[in-house]
Amino acid sequence: MAAQLSFIGFVRKNLWRRRLRTLLTLCGIGMAIGAFVGLVGFSNAFEQSWLRLYTSSGTDIAIIQQTFLNTSLPESATAKVAALPTVAQATPMIYNVMDLTPEVNALVYGWKADSYEFESLQLLSGRPFHDGQSEVMLGELLSGSLHKKTGDTLEIQGSPFKVVAIYHGGSALETGAVIMPLDQLQQLSSLQGKVSTIHVRLRPAPAGEAPDEYLKRAQAQIEAALPGLRAVPAAERAGNNQFVRLAHASAWGTSSIALLIGILGIANTMAMSVFERTREIGILRALGWKRGQIMILIQLEASVLGLGGGFLGIAVGWGALQLLAALPQTAGIVSATFPMALVAEALGISILAGLIAGAIPAWRGAQLSPVEALRHD
Amino acid sequence: MTSPALEARNLFKSYDEGQIEALRGVDLSIVTGEYVAITGPSGSGKSTLLHMLGGLDSPTTGEVRFRNVILGSAIDLDTYRSRNVGFIFQAFHLMPTLRAIENVQVPMLALKPCSFDRAARARDLLKEMGLENRMEQYPNQLSAGERQRVAIARALANNPDILLADEPTGNLDSVNSGKIMEILIGIQQKRGMTLIVVTHENEIAHAAARQVRIRDGKVEA
Repeated sequence: MAAQLSFIGFVRKNLWRRRLRTLLTLCGIGMAIGAFVGLVGFSNAFEQSWLRLYTSSGTDIAIIQQTFLNTSLPESATAKVAALPTVAQATPMIYNVMDLTPEVNALVYGWKADSYEFESLQLLSGRPFHDGQSEVMLGELLSGSLHKKTGDTLEIQGSPFKVVAIYHGGSALETGAVIMPLDQLQQLSSLQGKVSTIHVRLRPAPAGEAPDEYLKRAQAQIEAALPGLRAVPAAERAGNNQFVRLAHASAWGTSSIALLIGILGIANTMAMSVFERTREIGILRALGWKRGQIMILIQLEASVLGLGGGFLGIAVGWGALQLLAALPQTAGIVSATFPMALVAEALGISILAGLIAGAIPAWRGAQLSPVEALRHD
Repeated sequence: MTSPALEARNLFKSYDEGQIEALRGVDLSIVTGEYVAITGPSGSGKSTLLHMLGGLDSPTTGEVRFRNVILGSAIDLDTYRSRNVGFIFQAFHLMPTLRAIENVQVPMLALKPCSFDRAARARDLLKEMGLENRMEQYPNQLSAGERQRVAIARALANNPDILLADEPTGNLDSVNSGKIMEILIGIQQKRGMTLIVVTHENEIAHAAARQVRIRDGKVEA
């Protein structure tokens, strides 16, 4: 049976003609997409961990300062919030990142001993700490990294703290963390009377009021009671705190640089290909191919390179995330599941990268005069 | 009187800002179904004239008319080349990555990218060229004569009105030259096509119904 030539078949043959160059280009864009999938996947997983942190404790609203950089607010605001009719419970907290050993740094939370946040923790050994005592609780992941168990002493910034419990948390941001009395962390951080945020549990919404409307009403009530502070729904706060923002910014920043390099790789390949095939483009033009068809041919070649690199990159990114999900240091943060939205995003970006990279070579190829192109050696 | 298929009216073509004048006022009329040989010494402008007649290039001044329509105005050059003209080159110009049967389909992709009968049409044309056993070969697996026959099949792919051949036997030995010209003349007579051949070879020129001799960019009287 005779072979039917198609546009895609023609594209495939053109790309396969310079196999090594095509494979190297695929590797280049594949690495870029792999970096994107790995880093953005990691930062998304990090955001999900924050969300789990709120959902596992039942926090509906986080109260924070209005400005981005100012993260301390008066602890005394907690009482005002707790008195509001929509609020069931309010608990202040500090979070900070501290060096525990030269190798290990971790999130350190300061909680009140009566905080409702304890409800989401499962004690594996020991007992909860007492306010005013130099005591800490270690997440199971961190206790493993530090080789500490209940009854041991942990030195934090030169001060000894007794490990009173090892716990399992609802989020990786808890299982890899230290929790200590709020007053102790205030002292360590020189933040006496200040907290990073106040977490709020709302009373159930009254019958007939939609949850969203109720949440908005509670927000307005809190903000009216605490001028200058913001009441942010937990889901929004999970994706909008400094750590998550930094993780997203780093992931996208690094991925963008990698993608730019990948795009330049495809652009170089396509520019070389157009130059080498100048006479062939002239033949196509002589045979009646329109400029638009030449552009489509070259753009299709670039897009196929992008898409092929995209699939390769997804495989690389998937592998990296599986590895991170298996490593003890990151196992709690990174999930082995692979969100389809990220796959679709990666494929979209890889095709777009191909189209961007192919645009100038395609335009140049389409502008070639048939006669001049036919004379080209 | 038979209407002209192609007309060149006062055709000028210059390069390098007018320093080189390839054509200097060419007037030529070719009727439908005519076999015309364009001859002349190297550099006389015969290939340039063929390019103008085939819509590969535009004249500096003057006009080329196809069925009394000025090329580049009412009919754009790309459409004209894909629908009305078939090109045959001295160097064959086949796509090295495509098999013979795929090469013949290349012009059809321009005109009918969604058609499903391209392969069947290409097969019929290659059979007509006597290449039924060479369809799956790549150009580098074909002899020079076979390559030119594939190129002729490709030129016929979109069933054009005019065949333009630029030194079609220039890279062939005398046996293959004879075969190729026999095929071209056979096609011209069988299909009533207009055939315009640029050639150095007297034998080919003499076989044409009319010879047009170009010298220094002008048609010799």
